[in-house]
Amino acid sequence: MAALEVEGLTKDYGEVLANDDVTFAVEEGEVFGYLGPNGAGKTTTIRTLMGFQSPTSGGATVLGHDITDESDLIAAKRRIGYLPAHPSFDETVTGREILDLHASIKGGERRDELLETFDPPLDRKVREYSTGNVQKLGLVQAFMHDPDLVVMDEPTSGLDPLMQRAFNEFVEVERDRGLTVFLSSHVLSEVRRVCDRVGILRSGRLVTTERIEDLLHRTGKFVRVRVAGDVGPSAFDLDGVHDVSCSTTDGGAPDGGTSEGGAADREATTSEPADGGVADREPTDGGAADAPLVDGPVTECTFTFTGNVNDLIARLGERTVVDLDVEEAPLEEVFMRFYGDHDA
Amino acid sequence: MLEIARYEGRHRVRGAAAATAALSAFALLYIFVYPTFAESMGGDIDQLLEAYPEALSKAFGVQSLATMEGYLASELYTFGWLLIVGIYFAYAAASLIAADVERDRMDMLLSLPVSRARVVVEQFVSLAVPLVALSAVVPVVVVLGTIAVDYPIAATDVVALHLLSIPYLTTCAGIGLVASVLFDRASIAQRSAAGVIAGLFFAESLLTDTDFEAVGAVSPTRYVDPNAVLRESEYALGDAVVLVFATLALVGLAVVLFRRSDIE
Repeated sequence: MAALEVEGLTKDYGEVLANDDVTFAVEEGEVFGYLGPNGAGKTTTIRTLMGFQSPTSGGATVLGHDITDESDLIAAKRRIGYLPAHPSFDETVTGREILDLHASIKGGERRDELLETFDPPLDRKVREYSTGNVQKLGLVQAFMHDPDLVVMDEPTSGLDPLMQRAFNEFVEVERDRGLTVFLSSHVLSEVRRVCDRVGILRSGRLVTTERIEDLLHRTGKFVRVRVAGDVGPSAFDLDGVHDVSCSTTDGGAPDGGTSEGGAADREATTSEPADGGVADREPTDGGAADAPLVDGPVTECTFTFTGNVNDLIARLGERTVVDLDVEEAPLEEVFMRFYGDHDA
Repeated sequence: MLEIARYEGRHRVRGAAAATAALSAFALLYIFVYPTFAESMGGDIDQLLEAYPEALSKAFGVQSLATMEGYLASELYTFGWLLIVGIYFAYAAASLIAADVERDRMDMLLSLPVSRARVVVEQFVSLAVPLVALSAVVPVVVVLGTIAVDYPIAATDVVALHLLSIPYLTTCAGIGLVASVLFDRASIAQRSAAGVIAGLFFAESLLTDTDFEAVGAVSPTRYVDPNAVLRESEYALGDAVVLVFATLALVGLAVVLFRRSDIE
């Protein structure tokens, strides 16, 4: 059974169609990232799932319970943890009183344990809390009753980098315990680390849902290469190369350097399954530090590469490569590609 | 059950204590002024009344100032209790739901396994704290005060008046509660509710004995009469029952409206 199943969910605010026929499912034990820029409609979906507003059409189930049936949804809420985008608590009371109220209604068997990871100043009034402390209090209340599903809207906003890392590690451990997590984000780097699958929302419509690896694979690598000579973007005119941009500088070589040509210090870490004996590439001998020094102009090109890596390597082999970086395309790029593609 | 009411109620203790202290001081001030006032006017006290503009004496239920009972019924209870305390309860109730919605706290509350009806009802029930404090302390202060100045009034009448005014105050709170679910900004809900109570108060008192008297039937002040209770020891239980039903209807309406609304 899916932990969360959204079917044709539509929310029309009149002036904006915040969710337009959104359909997806989150399996039990999965960490699902709901991605999109601000204003895409992520919070609308989440607040509808929590029953704070009713869908214009379509519907959803959480843990098998219908979100449009209040008493059914209440049964589900006993097993759901929720963290809103900007958790807001009664400012006139202490964090302890807030947690006491929550515990009295939904239980708090994990409260003490969670307070070791996320430690807001419980005996201070919420009014005195920093944004990060409010977020920590929100995280504790979301997990304290040991829920089966946790729904979080932009959970790491407001956390400092150290707490973000603690949060990521925490979510990974929770997932291993079997927790299902549905979280939204517009900060892609955080999602990449913790999510199994993502759905991308744009202007209220779900553009895609896929495994994060597939997404990264499909969207390719980010390549930065420096080659000897004055070459134009056409030098990399092969299948799967996008958005080439090149710039040439005069003589990258410090004085006295000579080029032996041929050998290049490859830092490429790509490990695509080679589908042929193409690789005319023997491991570079010599220390990694001695980059080839070339006389004359050096061209630096950057592009996104979604094709067969062997083709790229073959093409690069035709030139004297001074330096090469291949890395996974940052999710921001991935994002832009989605929007770019679909906007056209 | 009642976790929310208890939580909210605890945070009303201070406000309730302050309101009770203020009302008690207000009552004592009126009571201690009375002997000087009564003695200086001698037997002609109600002549002063005739000099009052008629609308004013009607508005504040001034029927007779010749006795402590008549004086308190108009000056303290009609003005202080029905109008001021009535507005206080409407105002307090108006922020119950609207303030949480306005400050985005309602999402957090509704993420708990609680129904919207329960949220509305328990928030409303938390107003029992100021209601009980005021209704328990002020009558004692009034009775002891009148004994202290040597114009004692019947304790049973004072107690009866306070008991009969409880459904009146819950009705005022019910009006505030409906405003609280209608508006998602607390300040607007509060102003609307206070305005409605003041409007109904004056509508009832000013329309009495006019062709529009029937209109005053919708005003809660029609159903509680401090003069009758204190001066005549007449307890209109039927009227109190009307107010009990009005309260239930208003809370029911607030629940229906809140269940149907999108929290924004």
